[in-house]
Amino acid sequence: MWLRSIGGLAAVFIAALLSAVVITGFAMDSASRAAIQTVVDRRLAIASEVLAGPAFPARADEVKRRMIEHGKARNTADLGMLLEDRDGRSLGGNIVLSPKPPMGFSSLDARAGIVGVSEGRALRRDIGGGLILTVVAESEPIDNYSAARRRIYLVGLGSIVAILLIGTVLFSLALVHRIAQMRRTVRAIMRGDLSERLPAVNERGEFRRLATEFNLMLDRVTGLMTAMKSVSSDIAHDLRAPLARLRAQLVRLERSAEAGPTQEAAEIALAMADELLGMFGAVLRIAEIDAGERLAAFERLDLTALAAEVAEMMEPIARDGDRSLLWSAGGAAHVDGDRQLLTQALLNLIENALHHTPVGTTVRVAVDTFEGQVSLSVADNGPGVAEDDRATALRRFGRLDASRNTPGHGLGLALVEAVARLHEGELRLSDARPGLKVEIRLPRGAAV
Amino acid sequence: MTGLNLLVVEDDLVLAEATADELRALGHSVTLVRDGGKALQAVASASFHAILLDRMLPRLDGVSVVQQLRDDGVTIPVVMVSALGKSAEKVEGLEAGADDYVAKPAPAAELIARIQAALRARDWKKSDGDTLQVGDITVSPTRFRAWRNGRTVDLPKLELNLLIEFARNPDTVLTRAMLLERVWGYDFEPSSNLVESYVRRLRARLTSHGEPDPIQTLRGVGYMLRG
Repeated sequence: MWLRSIGGLAAVFIAALLSAVVITGFAMDSASRAAIQTVVDRRLAIASEVLAGPAFPARADEVKRRMIEHGKARNTADLGMLLEDRDGRSLGGNIVLSPKPPMGFSSLDARAGIVGVSEGRALRRDIGGGLILTVVAESEPIDNYSAARRRIYLVGLGSIVAILLIGTVLFSLALVHRIAQMRRTVRAIMRGDLSERLPAVNERGEFRRLATEFNLMLDRVTGLMTAMKSVSSDIAHDLRAPLARLRAQLVRLERSAEAGPTQEAAEIALAMADELLGMFGAVLRIAEIDAGERLAAFERLDLTALAAEVAEMMEPIARDGDRSLLWSAGGAAHVDGDRQLLTQALLNLIENALHHTPVGTTVRVAVDTFEGQVSLSVADNGPGVAEDDRATALRRFGRLDASRNTPGHGLGLALVEAVARLHEGELRLSDARPGLKVEIRLPRGAAV
Repeated sequence: MTGLNLLVVEDDLVLAEATADELRALGHSVTLVRDGGKALQAVASASFHAILLDRMLPRLDGVSVVQQLRDDGVTIPVVMVSALGKSAEKVEGLEAGADDYVAKPAPAAELIARIQAALRARDWKKSDGDTLQVGDITVSPTRFRAWRNGRTVDLPKLELNLLIEFARNPDTVLTRAMLLERVWGYDFEPSSNLVESYVRRLRARLTSHGEPDPIQTLRGVGYMLRG
């Protein structure tokens, strides 16, 4: 509908404004005219009463005498007075009326031919004794006052209309300009230029907030697209190697089929297939997390209790591998989250720490609360990860072990990161001096 | 255990044949159908011990098939198999009336273990009181205690839960995935050998006085508590 367009809306606004101004102008004009008329009519009534005198029927000479008298008085000298007989013959007075006004009150203008009266009122009445008395007064304080008043209205209200008109047009133009800018950005992005952003640096208010949020959305979209692109290329790249190995193994199996027992070779091939399936499983799980499908299962939970439970469960396994796992039992740290995913994320971090450190390493699980944040960390005192390598570790399929001979599909941290992101948190890798500290920072659950 | 008469509903021919071969190799007889409508026809015309049902099928999908079967009063155990292991879909499948839900591809041994467990669950008699008795092992899920030959066996929570699950399914193979689901409550598989490790611990506690090991390991399949 045209009301939805800025131009349409502005046109409707301007039309409504114009009619309001015109109505106001007319109302003001007629109200002041009516007020003036009432005052003038009252004056005419009094003057007519005084001129006619107390006697009824009036006497012509008495009336004429009073007319002369009042024609000289300061406050009545401006009145036009005319005394006529019943046939319209003038008996006295200071004006001549060529078209006779009707009986009672009536309006006059310059056509009445009274010198100095451009607009006025007349009261013509029978005062008895065959006498008709007409009293005329100007209804304008100055000549051509009505025209002047109209000009005042036009200039005053007109300037208001003009200001609003210009304002509306400028506002509409600014809005249209902004939207055009946004559309340009969107079109650029659709063409594939994901670096395009809305300018928002030097502004305040709604436009800036909109632009900021728009840009944040673009950042997120860009992040997802980049991740997706790299996942696709990573998949293409990383699945080739295990597939090639699997194929080689099967070839070996085929060749040795007659030669001897094939059990072992088949088992190796199966393990390779399982590795591939595990990789796809992890990719699917990350996709499930990223799609936000788990948000419905969010609940208020105590991360300290969860961490203690997982750490306690993993402790014997760490011990079996000649590593120690310690955890601190702090106060409750509430977050809103998915119990399964947070458990899986923490398990992944602990497993990572146990798998990628030498025998004798100590792994510490800790939950700390800050202002508005809860930190769940797994730190080891192993050799650590060089700062440059930490980004690689975070990349999907990122394996620091270039030969890719250690078990695992390289998706562990990517999964943890996806879990953190789903919980509006973040994953941080830092130096535990010595060792590596991996930390999930989550927003603290609002107080219940 | 005697061979089972199974209905496998799967539209991927290669996978269907491979699964059927594996199941037949384990001594079961298999009827293969490729879509939901044919599955309903097959159930109406022959008698099966259990159904392995793919979730995504042409025309009538797996969830609708289970719903239809349950609406018709058919109580045969149904194990649903899906390429997508999403938990929401699992819940949907179970709510529709499936007994279990496995991610694809599952080894035949895993499928059979789940079918056996589902069949056994059909025969469960609500025992008097809450204690479970398997051979010389007694376990009380409500009192969190276990005994062997009358001797109290001290078990931490996780090991006790593991024993309870075994005692509920005596002489039934429980796979690693089943134990992770039922004892740990996980909808994912950790890479560490949690199950192996805790079964070993449970075993050590149960045999600390030189008793014979009541838990049988089936290599590559799972564990079974012998009654």
